Amino acid sequence: MILIPCPHCGDRNSSEFTYAGEVHSRPSPGDARQGPWRDYLYGKDNPAGWTEERWFHGSGCGKYLRAERHTVTNEIRATRPEVGAGASSRTRP
Amino acid sequence: MPETSSTNTAGAVEVGDGPVARSPIRPLPPVRLHAGWEVSGRRSEAALQLADLSPLAKVHVRTSPTSALASFLEVGFGRSARDEGGRLVVGAGPDSWTVIGRTGTASEIVASLQAAAGAEPASVIDTTHGRALVRLTGSDARRLLEKVCAIDFDDAVTPDGATFTSSVARVVTEVVRDDLDGLPSYLLACERSSGQYLFDSLLDAGNEFTVEIDGFPEKEI
Ligand SMILES: [Zn+2]
Repeated sequence: MILIPCPHCGDRNSSEFTYAGEVHSRPSPGDARQGPWRDYLYGKDNPAGWTEERWFHGSGCGKYLRAERHTVTNEIRATRPEVGAGASSRTRP
Repeated sequence: MPETSSTNTAGAVEVGDGPVARSPIRPLPPVRLHAGWEVSGRRSEAALQLADLSPLAKVHVRTSPTSALASFLEVGFGRSARDEGGRLVVGAGPDSWTVIGRTGTASEIVASLQAAAGAEPASVIDTTHGRALVRLTGSDARRLLEKVCAIDFDDAVTPDGATFTSSVARVVTEVVRDDLDGLPSYLLACERSSGQYLFDSLLDAGNEFTVEIDGFPEKEI
């Protein structure tokens, strides 16, 4: 079992989460050229090492969070709540 | 118009003898009516009991933890407490709450919460008919839940009043520890469509502890 430390709920089984991809800064939609926009949508760095990812805690608090994960050892050294738009997913009773 | 309803001269619908609502969980006989809901009148004396409490009013609240409504609710994320009116206020998430009250009181709970919210952004929704709610009571309740949920149920981690959302028998379930007369007791709430499955899964996991189904309780919440 891989434990993911949710900043809201504490350590939880990774099966409670959905992977939502690497974190990349979004180019400005107003003036981004095709190349950078395509890279933002489809490009992945996929490093063998530390990477920052977005995860969704669907079986818990229903929030998105950011995690720094080592892709080789699966060690997670830090998690924090996602902020801004999309931080809160849906109205889940 | 169905036989069970009739319209009086004032235009209001009067409910006859038939049920107006059913829990997603089949009630065991004897079935009786309680505030329009079909409920089980069965009484169990077993040491470990599972009861369907789905008719209870369940109001979902979503607002900022710094809002006036949040301070009105008082309870923080991960905790639960009774308010002055005997309703159970559950801190279900960082910015969400569930208020559980007696059958038929959802609209008055919604009205009081909306009044407390004032002009601040808040979502107050009656989810009574959209959620299933069951109560598991007995000294073996913890051992049963440990079979179907990965959370630590030790008193140090999950004391009376603690609440969390996690996977219970693979269903996303809101769990509230709400002891009854010194006996460990847990309220479990999930989406209506998973209610019967969760109920059956708990019965199955409780087979080795001889869990029994109890009817709708005298003291609702
Ligand atoms: Zn969480």
